[in-house]
Amino acid sequence: MILVDPGDAPRAAAGTGGPVVVAMTGVAKRFGGVTALDGVTFEVRAGEVHALLGENGAGKSTLINILSGVITDYDGAVTVDGSPVRFAGPAAAQAAGIATIHQELDLVPALSVADNLVLGREPRTRLRTVDRRAAVRTAREHLDLLGADIDPRRPVGSLRVGEQQLVEIAKALALDARVLVMDEPTAALADGEVRRLFATIDGLRRRGVGVVYISHRMEEIEVVADRATVLRNGSVAGVVPAGRMDRRRIIAMMVGERATSLFAPAPTDADGSRGTVREPLLDVTDLVVRPRAPRPGRCEPDGISLTVRAGEIVGLAGLMGAGRTELLETLFGAGPRGRRTGTIRLDGSPYAPRHPRAALRAGVGFVPEDRRRAALVLDHPVGRSIMLTALATVTTAGFVSRKRERSAVQRTITELAIKTSSAATPVGALSGGNQQKVVFARHLLAEPRLLLLDEPTRGVDIGAKAEIYRLLRRLADDGMGILLASSELPELLGVCDRVLVLRGGRTVADLATDGCTGEDILAAAMGGATAGRDER
Amino acid sequence: MTDIRVPPPEPAVTEVPPAAGTVGLRGAAARWLRRPRSRRELVDRLFAVQSLFALLVVFVVAILASPRRDGEILFLTAGNLGNIVRAVSEIGIIAIGMTFVILLGGIDLSVGAILGLSAVGTATLLVDSGFGIVPAVAVVLVIGALFGAVQGYAVARLGIQSFIVTLAGLQVARGIARIWSGGLGIPIAYGDGPQEAPPAFELLNGSVNGVLPVPAVLFALIGAAAIVVLRTTAFARHVYAIGGNEKAARLSGVPVTRVKVAVFAVAGLLAAVAGVIHAGQLNQGSPNDGAGYELDAIAAVVIGGTSLAGGSGSMGGTLAGALLLGILNNILALNNIDANVQLLIKGLVIVLATALQKLRRGIA
Repeated sequence: MILVDPGDAPRAAAGTGGPVVVAMTGVAKRFGGVTALDGVTFEVRAGEVHALLGENGAGKSTLINILSGVITDYDGAVTVDGSPVRFAGPAAAQAAGIATIHQELDLVPALSVADNLVLGREPRTRLRTVDRRAAVRTAREHLDLLGADIDPRRPVGSLRVGEQQLVEIAKALALDARVLVMDEPTAALADGEVRRLFATIDGLRRRGVGVVYISHRMEEIEVVADRATVLRNGSVAGVVPAGRMDRRRIIAMMVGERATSLFAPAPTDADGSRGTVREPLLDVTDLVVRPRAPRPGRCEPDGISLTVRAGEIVGLAGLMGAGRTELLETLFGAGPRGRRTGTIRLDGSPYAPRHPRAALRAGVGFVPEDRRRAALVLDHPVGRSIMLTALATVTTAGFVSRKRERSAVQRTITELAIKTSSAATPVGALSGGNQQKVVFARHLLAEPRLLLLDEPTRGVDIGAKAEIYRLLRRLADDGMGILLASSELPELLGVCDRVLVLRGGRTVADLATDGCTGEDILAAAMGGATAGRDER
Repeated sequence: MTDIRVPPPEPAVTEVPPAAGTVGLRGAAARWLRRPRSRRELVDRLFAVQSLFALLVVFVVAILASPRRDGEILFLTAGNLGNIVRAVSEIGIIAIGMTFVILLGGIDLSVGAILGLSAVGTATLLVDSGFGIVPAVAVVLVIGALFGAVQGYAVARLGIQSFIVTLAGLQVARGIARIWSGGLGIPIAYGDGPQEAPPAFELLNGSVNGVLPVPAVLFALIGAAAIVVLRTTAFARHVYAIGGNEKAARLSGVPVTRVKVAVFAVAGLLAAVAGVIHAGQLNQGSPNDGAGYELDAIAAVVIGGTSLAGGSGSMGGTLAGALLLGILNNILALNNIDANVQLLIKGLVIVLATALQKLRRGIA
């Protein structure tokens, strides 16, 4: 239900937006001995996009959990339209017009897109059965709003993470929300979809919907937000209006005193070249994979040629569905069974891993995209999680040596600066960045020659990001080859020596990052106008 | 909805060097006695020994509820306690194997039938085929382990759910047992003649020092070994990892297929051990032996705090769970409680124990 007339709230040119819809005053929350929020004041006006910034652990999640009725036990006041409220639960918040899109998707994988969109509010026929046609129609309408080309009859489980996120956004739109909370909505989206999302957000703004926008990506905030509230350690570090959003100042607010240089500089050899002198570590020629059972929605390698040298960080760019993940899976022996043509050479010898163990034995490590689903057991302790891959190094005759294990774990925790109260803490209690470091640690202990990374900084706060970048550069300097798939252009440009661009399962460009711009990469990825120089 | 996580305690100390004596058993005790740092830690600590605690409660209740004769508490007589551990040992040994399977995120419905098959096998080989004790037992154990391994292979490589594979395995094992025995129980007579088993096999019916029944001793030894295995081996780590997140385990280089086959083989092997003991205790092997034992074993594991979802649980809990069920059975029987009411009470206890596990997550 949109209360404000569409013409009523022009783009917040005035910088103020419409009337205040939701206001939170002096909100505080403690978990046990930890203060998560300490007297935070936050408001959302009709027709504004209000960015919420802060490192992981700064209190953003707690704040939106209060706003969306997930946390009901807190100090301070929340008002909607000026009247005090205290939501009894998420349903109450939703009824008041506050919809939330969580980072962890709330969709039922086995149900179709349409069924998910109308879940709990299914349209009925006269016989009281579910009116499937009406459901599909509703779903299509809302997906069209987003410009998302997804068949509403497909089961959500068969969609890729990014598509699922679009469905989740459409679902929130279907709830006629007055305030829409988006927790990192673009984390899994490729740039094309991000632009579409921004257009949608703009539409929402014009219709008077207040949007709370949480993201780690500064460049998005600059584009989309009317103002930004920055949290640090549970308090408001500052409120910045649009137009005054200086990236460095905001980062300084977020991290406090810490260094703001995000990317470690690539080392330069005496002659100005970098990493090019070494031998190819990974050499792939015309790789094509034909799975025995085709996987819907997946894009298998269909003509991949690439090299990664020791000491080199090579980026893997491409729109969603361009086949980045599938390529990494194939290189790690985790792809589908089927026929494979083309050659892969690792350090000069033929390499065709049939399962991840074979890849690990050959010295290849893989940090997957979705760490919760594919890398961690959240309630297992940090120490055990770190040791999973390199367990053999501390095992004698099948028995794990506690002493050697503890020292290896302690060494790694210190080396990667993993913030955990002890090695016995469950991994799930760590922040996203530290969880990711645990996955890194696991592979580093196995001492790989080649490290495959799939979106390694997704959901990772800016401080931990910088640390991960520095770590990657250090590993490369020590002679490791790194293949890094990422949807973030600044990451590709800032961290990598070269960027390979995939489109439809093929390598379409090989760009040196020196003097290359985000537009070059994007152009190659979209295959529109003439792209990078080395277009094949 | 979303998960509410306690934000990580601020950049806490990264290295907490283990204080003197925090390793090993003494260390465990020291850790337990230290002042808890948070409510969560306190709750965790209490629940860590929850099944032991429940066992203690049931034990005390049993003493109070026990009938007396001439002022003597019947429950506490050496003879009765011996009976309890003797009765518990078969289910207990099966439950040890079941714990590995459930930690893996699976279930094994075939163990009762494997017990029956093994009892028949033991009796037939000893009596009809004239095998010596060692070869007979060895053959039976190998059959049990192989049977389990085949099931594990079907689970791991064909990707069929273990519930279905072992449900089929249950039928197959019973079928083989019936065919092998002609559908009849095979009595074991002892002696040196033909159609007689070596008298040494009767040892399974005896006791150590006339107090501790031999099956109970076997149960204790296997249980102790299982605790060590689960705490110290890489194999156990792999079991926990697969049960917690199979995809993550595979991508981390855990040999998933091998571990699954091994776990089901262990479950089959231990069921066969229980079958040999069963034949020894009853002096016969019948193809219908062990019917429903798989459910008692599952109950013991669950009461012991192991999650049916896989990935979390302990062997000590299972041992306590098996003993708890044994004591419960015994005290109900001592009081001449109707068998049907016994079933009802056992059912309620299982629900209560599982509800307690849920409660833990609520408080912590």
